[in-house]
Order: sequence, then structure tokens, then C-alpha cells
Amino acid sequence: MKYQSSSTDNNKMDIWGVFFYILLVAIGFINIFSVTSDVNQTSLVLSDIAYKQLFFIGGAVVIILTLSFANVVLIDYLSYYVYALVILLNIAVLFIGKEVGGAKSWFGFGGFGIQPSEFLKLATSMALAKFLGGYGMRFSGWKNITYSIGIFLFPVILILLQNDTGSALVYFSFFLVLYREGMPGYIIILAFWMGLLAILSIVFQGLEISSYYLVGTILGIGSIAVYFARKSRQWVVLISFLAVSSAVFSTLVGIVYDNVFQWYQKDRIEIVLGLKEDKQGMGYNLDQSKVAIGAGRFIGRGFQNGTQTKMGFVPEQHTDFIFCTIGEEWGFVGVIVFFSAFLGLLIRLIQLAERQSDAYGRIFGYSVCCILFFHWFVNIGMTIGLIPVIGIPLPFVSAGGSSLWGFTLLLFTFLRYDQVRRN
Amino acid sequence: MQDVHKKRSSVFVIGLSFIFLLFLYRIGTLQLVDDKYEKRAINNALNKITLYPARSVIYDRFGKIIAKNAASYDLFVFPKDEKVENRLFVQQILQIDSNQYNELLTEAWINSKKRQKNNAYNRSAIFYSNLSQQQYTALRENLYRLSGFYIEPRTDRAYEIFGGAHAFGYLGEASELLLKEDPYYQPGDLVGITGIERYYEEFMRGAKGVKTVWQDRTYKQRGEVQDEAFNYPAKSGPDFYATIDIELQKFAEELFNGKRGSVVAIEPSTGEVLAFLNKPDYNPNDLVGQDRARSFRKMLIDPKKPLYNRAVKGVYPPGSTVKTVLALIGLQEGIIHPGSTKGCGGGYRMGNIVVGCHPHGGPLDVVGSIRISCNSYYCGLFREIIDHPKYGTTHNGYRVLERYWRSFGLGDPTGIDLLGESSGNVPTVERLAKRHGKKWRSSMVISLGIGQGEILLTPLQLANVAAILANRGYYIPPHLLKKVNGLKNNGLKQEYRTKKIIPIDAKHFETVIEGMSQVMKPGGTANGIGINGIEICGKTGTAQNPHGKDHSLFIAFAPRNNPKIAIGVIVENGGFGATYAAPIATLMIEKYLMRDTASSKQFMIDRLKSTVLEPQ
Repeated sequence: MKYQSSSTDNNKMDIWGVFFYILLVAIGFINIFSVTSDVNQTSLVLSDIAYKQLFFIGGAVVIILTLSFANVVLIDYLSYYVYALVILLNIAVLFIGKEVGGAKSWFGFGGFGIQPSEFLKLATSMALAKFLGGYGMRFSGWKNITYSIGIFLFPVILILLQNDTGSALVYFSFFLVLYREGMPGYIIILAFWMGLLAILSIVFQGLEISSYYLVGTILGIGSIAVYFARKSRQWVVLISFLAVSSAVFSTLVGIVYDNVFQWYQKDRIEIVLGLKEDKQGMGYNLDQSKVAIGAGRFIGRGFQNGTQTKMGFVPEQHTDFIFCTIGEEWGFVGVIVFFSAFLGLLIRLIQLAERQSDAYGRIFGYSVCCILFFHWFVNIGMTIGLIPVIGIPLPFVSAGGSSLWGFTLLLFTFLRYDQVRRN
Repeated sequence: MQDVHKKRSSVFVIGLSFIFLLFLYRIGTLQLVDDKYEKRAINNALNKITLYPARSVIYDRFGKIIAKNAASYDLFVFPKDEKVENRLFVQQILQIDSNQYNELLTEAWINSKKRQKNNAYNRSAIFYSNLSQQQYTALRENLYRLSGFYIEPRTDRAYEIFGGAHAFGYLGEASELLLKEDPYYQPGDLVGITGIERYYEEFMRGAKGVKTVWQDRTYKQRGEVQDEAFNYPAKSGPDFYATIDIELQKFAEELFNGKRGSVVAIEPSTGEVLAFLNKPDYNPNDLVGQDRARSFRKMLIDPKKPLYNRAVKGVYPPGSTVKTVLALIGLQEGIIHPGSTKGCGGGYRMGNIVVGCHPHGGPLDVVGSIRISCNSYYCGLFREIIDHPKYGTTHNGYRVLERYWRSFGLGDPTGIDLLGESSGNVPTVERLAKRHGKKWRSSMVISLGIGQGEILLTPLQLANVAAILANRGYYIPPHLLKKVNGLKNNGLKQEYRTKKIIPIDAKHFETVIEGMSQVMKPGGTANGIGINGIEICGKTGTAQNPHGKDHSLFIAFAPRNNPKIAIGVIVENGGFGATYAAPIATLMIEKYLMRDTASSKQFMIDRLKSTVLEPQ
């Protein structure tokens, strides 16, 4: 059963996965078409950007068709090679790539550009699945843990070198995959705790309160906890360790924040944390983005009627901020439809991953799911002002070839794998 | 491989769903709570652009264009988008320094805030009005790189003929007060400040139109909003026909060269003002465009007071001109009859008071007293009237006299369509009591009989007296609006279509008019100043005044039968009435009645034009 032949075409590709994909791409195209159309345009004339997107969708169909003939055995077998190749491409781009918007992450081919980092997600997912899905592999032991984390942290370094902070963040979604594969839950809790500490120390910095107060508070609470737990030596040691390391950590965050981050990065962070009111500079984009979504009310302002987005008050209206158009033109109803489609796809991916007969498929499926989720989370969180403005696309919806093709490749490689390998 | 963590899949499903709901909640708070974001979005994207209407074109009574409109350009700014790096450039074009620039910008900030209250779609404000042609060209070429600035066309006055400045008035920027009172106006709007421009502002301004456009983040227009409610054209002010005869007006201005004073000419049967002149005056073209503010400030401090509208604001002792009125009152009250004679020994004597008179043969009847302008006659008549026993007391007698005077429009505004008209002064019994004591007697106020003392008239009132005499007992309040086509009653108020009747019989007028006719004949005070072929009826006046040499006054109308023009002239410090005022009046009458033939008294014209009483 385990390695059945690749030509089992009596199985069809998962209908729900394909359905949600088509729905999301359609939502994307309608909104790209709308937001890039002429101001008073109500007829169905396509803008250049909408034409391009049609072309990209055509390309995506070609990718899907090509994948539907792919040999599944090869997917599994080639994982490490693909990973190595894409890593090499991403190193190469550092030297021979061209710079677009401050990020040196593009290979230029005439009028087109390809961002090799878009394919790094797929390659990393395959490599991680291959490593963790290996026979008899268990997620334990320092060596295994280090290797698996290394598989997705190495790309992060490369992407950071390409000056593309937004994409680098996405790789932290693999921690969620590790959780599914048995990484202890407390690590996630610990990560939350560290995140909380980091935010607190930035708030203290932003308010220009000495970090000694934060450190003092942490150590104070720790001392009280130690007093109550004084009967158990184990707890005393654990709490002491936690308190001291928290204090050290928050101090370090403060120092790093102060010295490593650029002023504009600090600005974005501090605006989101509510430490800064700035409706002209950095905050302008965020403010206008919220106005656009808020303007949609319940049923939206209607197709091609979203002035916030159409008139350019929202930046990057057809790429990173495409969600504003959904919110403005289709309202709360449109948001629910779009969210349902996206959540539907994610849950379906979990179901598909869970029904895989082998660990490779399962881990690969979770990787796809978590990457899509993380993109959605950061992108939407950014437009509604819950997290700092980080430029990453909304999968399947944002305009742009690299992103659409990258995500299509990612999703359909898994759907193809599932088509052949599911029970 | 054993899958020991399968349970964790449900943690994923629940966790994801939770985060989706959390985001949905957040979006709900943006979209569903209230419409503040929707309003902000609409405000962002719509810009209501005001379309400025052309003001009424002003014509004279014969259809000659006096004032029309010329395109002018104002520089507007969205203060928020004005860029520091462009400042030097803009300063250079406008030829202002950085301090002035900052002042203008601050003002624009304040105005844009105000504008937003009235018109939520507009965050721009006027920055610099009335660009010169050079500035306009230089700015328009570079506008694309001057973030936040744009140019708005509007209209300003352009005068075809420079005349009648005080009648037509001038335009200026709407004042703070007006902006507060009337939301129609925006900072920088031109409004009528004086003259008929002010009086008829409401229809002369026309109606602003609106063009609503989509605008993007950079305020670049992105097409018109396709909705009629958001777009309507400006409506021009209707054609305004003034009563002024601009040819007569210009002629009067030439005659008045080098003199100070005022002329008002009226068509008696209608109350239409044919000429309305003050000297010194100003060139209306100086109060137009970019120089407006600077010229205006200069005129304000000019000791010659070129902006001063003497014709309705200046008050003068009328002198002998009002002897005509006193004669009418005496006749109507039956105190004298046309044949009543009085002797004159070269002056009127009461104890140690003497009112001088010039040498003439006596005794005189009413006609003769007017011809000669005998002071003794009118001092006597004045006392006879107010001291007449039928009134009981002198004060009661004076009250009767005062009522008559007021029926002639003296002591009250005539109601001309100009703002700020003075009442002149006709003293009441009480006013005289303040001056001369409670128990004042006729001898104390005797100079009122010859138009001196407390009695003061505006040149307009003087001309109106001439009109009343011409009409033999009525007048229509003088006015400057002839017609505006398309308005009800041609835009004329009820008052300008209604006769005001003076309670004096027409036959008494004939007596006085005979006297006025003889004024122009041998033995009259203005002998030799008449015009051949026109029977002019006039009355000279030489008014003493505390400001120096006597004022020269003259009232007249012509022709005697079916008069076409009545006129009142004051030449300040001009001496005898016959010296300057009378020839100006008769020449104007000639000009008006025989406009197409050459003047029979060219030498008089030349003399007046070249006589300079005070350097201008």
C-alpha cells in the first residue's frame, strides 16, 4: 500500500481544495480588476494590471496541469535536491539579482522578474517533510530538533540577507508544524511569554521609562512566587531560572530594539502599539487602510465604487493591501465570504494532511497550511492595524505572478501528492 | 511511524477558527459600529470645485457697456500638501519673501479649516488672489510639480469707460464679518463694497456653480462625478442697465476738472439719476486685480479723500437755492401771494443784526425776489411764516415749516439705491432750543430763511429739490437702477415706481418757476449763462461756510415745460453760484438735451475745463 504506483487516476484531485482555490483566485481577480479600473468606469474594461493578472492565472493553470502529471515518487525523492537547488538560487540572487524596492531578491528576465524566495517555501516544506517523515524519525533529541529547525532557519538568514524581512517572518510558521509533530506545547507558551516580554520592553522604551522598572517588576513577581513555592526545591529553581532569564531577555530586547532597528521600523512598531499617533507619515497608510475597510459597512460600497482604494488613498491597493478593496467594496458580507473561503481551505488542508498514510504527506500538508495561514494572518492583521505594516502578499488574492505561481505550486504539489497517496 | 500527536489537529482547527473570529470581530468594529469611516472615505475622494459666475455687466441708460468681466486667476493651496522644497520657487514667482509666504500659508490653514465647516469636501483655501499674467503663466507651467497648489479662474471687473466711480462702486474681497454672516461667501470672493455693486450685490453676483470631481491621494482630478446633484453650472448675473448717461457723466467730470464738489442730475419724471459725480474721485480701474489692495490703502489715507461719496454723504448749507422752497411754503400757507412785495435797503435789519443783500432795485415781488435772490425778502418771509399768529407760537410755526421742508425730502435720506446716505440736517424745534436756548425767537434762527445756519443738504437732496420744482410738486426717489431684464418690474423696488406728493398746489410752483426762469435772463443772478434755444429754470446759491471761500451752488431744470433733466451742483469754495455751479449745470443741460449738436458755448466749456481751483 505504502508505495503504490503513481498512475492511479481513478482518484481525483481533492474537489474542496480545488474549489476553495478557484474561489480565492476569483475573489482576487474581481478585486484587482475593480481597484485598478478607471475612476468613472462601470463597464467591463480591463486595466493593464488586470490583464497581467489574467495572464498569471493562465500560468497558474499551466502549473496545475503540469503538476497533475507529476510523478509523486519524484516529489518525495527529489525533496532534498529541490531544497539544495533553491537554496543555491537564493544565494545566487544575492550576487546577480536586481534590487526592487530595497530588496535584492529578484532575477530579472527582460520585463519580468522572478523572486526565488517564493519557491523557497515549497522547497523548505519538502525538505522538512522529508527529514521529519523519514522512517523511524521522532521529534526528540537535540540533534533532530536542531536539524529540523535548521532546515527552515537557514532560508530565513538568506531572505534576511536579501533584505526582505516580511518573507523571512513566514518561516516561523514552521514552528506550528513542529508542534503538530510533537514539539512540546510549552515551547509555544514560552514563545508567547517571550513575545509578551518583548512587547512590554518596547512599550517601556517607547514611553521612555527605564527598563530597570520592568526588570525589577519581573524579579519582584519571581521573588513572591519563590516565596510561595519555597517548599518545593524543584519549583524554586524553575521559577528563579524563569524570572532571571526573563529579566535578562527583556533587557536584551531593549538593547537590540534600540540599536539594531531602523527608525522607520521602530515607527511602524510603535504606531501599532499605540505609542505614536502619526496620521501623516507611517500611520497614514494604516489609517487610510482602516478607513477603507470601515467605509464598506455591512454590504460594501459596491463593485468598482471603493474610492479609498481606487483613488490611491490606500497604498499598494492591488497587491499587499488588496484586502482593503474587499472590505470597502463588499463590506462585512464580503469579508465573511472571503474569510470562509480561506478558513475553509486551511481546515480542508488539515483534513487532507491528517488522512495521509505517510508522515511526509502529513508534514508537507501542515507546512502548506501553516504558510498560508501565516501569510493571511500577517497580511490581514496589517490592514486592520493589529500588527505592524509588513509587506507580504495575501495568497491567491494579491496581484502578482511570483506570489500566485509560488502559492499555486505549493498548494497543488500537495494536492497532487494527496491525489495519489491518500488512503 | 506512529502518529502519537493526532489529537493536536483539533487544536489547529480550534485555534485557526478562533483567530479568524478575532479578526472578524475587529473588522466588525471598523465596519458596523458607525459611519464615520464611510464619511471620511467620501470626504477623501470628492472635491467640490466652485465655479465662479460672471458678475452682471453694467450698461448705461443707452446700452453702452461700462463694466464687464475679465478672467482673473487665484492661487489655491491644500495647506497639508504644500512642500517646503517648493517654497523658494513660489516665493520667486509671487515676488514675496519667506515671512510673507508663511503669513499667507497660515491664513490658508485657518481658511481651509473654516471652509471645511461649510463644505466638507474642500480642504483647500485661497493662497494668493489675482495673479498677474506673468505669475499665472509661470505658475501654470510648473503646477504639476508644486504639490498642493492649484489655480482657480474667476472673474473680476474690467471697466470699458472710467466714469461714475462713486455710483457704480467697486469690488473687494469679502470681509470677515460677511464671511461669518453669509455662508455663500468664501474667503477671497469678490463682493460689491460700495455703489450699486454693493446695493444690488445679491443679483449682480450671479450664482456660483459646482463641479464635483473625484480626486486621488495627490489631489489630482480623476474625472467628474456623474451625478447631476453634484454638478451645476454657474449662473451669470443679469445685465444691469444703470440710469446714468455715461456721456453726460464724462462731460460733467471734464467740466469739474480741478474743482471739488458734486453734481447730481435727475430725470424728474422718473427719478432716474442721469449723472452722479464727486470730485475728487478715483479711477475705477485702480481698484481691480492685483493692485486693488495697494491702491485702496493709498486712497484711504489720501487727504483728498477720493473714495468719499460727497453726493450722498457730504452735507452743505444750501444757501439761496432753497429760497424757492420757502417761497412755495409762504404761498401755500397764504402768508404771501405772488404780488406781495417787500423793500430791501441793502440788507435785513433787526436791531443790531444785519443780513446783507446785494444792491438791487426794490421793492420786489416773489418772482423778482427769486430773480435777484433778495436776502431781505426771505429773511422777512421766514419770520412772517414762523411768527404768523395763526400758528399760536413761533415754535409751532416753525414746526409747520419743518414739515414742509421734510416733504421736499430734506432732513431725511432720499432713498437712493446706495448705502450710507446722509439725512442732511433740518433742525427740529428741540435742536434749535439746544443751540439757542429754550425760548429761541425767530430772529435768532433767521439765517435758516436764506439756507444758512443749521440747515444742511446733500448734493443729492439739492438735485431732488430741482426735480420737485420741475415736476411741480412731486418726486420719485432718485435711483441708479434703470432695468434688469427678466426681473419683476425690471428689478425696481416699489418706492422707485411711486410718486411722493408735496402738499403744495401746482399754481404756486408756476410762480416760483417764473422766477427761476428769470434768473437766467437780464437782471437775473445767472444772466448770460443760459443756453440759446432751451428755457432753463435755475436758482443760484452762494453758501457761506466755515471752511473758507463760499461754496458755489446751482439748481436747475429744463426745459421749462415738460422738463427732461433736473440738476444740482455744488462747487466747493467756488464763490458765487453763477461763477462755476451755474455754467456747469447749464452746459450739462445743453449736453443732455442737444447731445448731437456742438455746444453754443464752447468758450465756457474751455474755461471750466481749464480752471483749476485746487491742484489734483
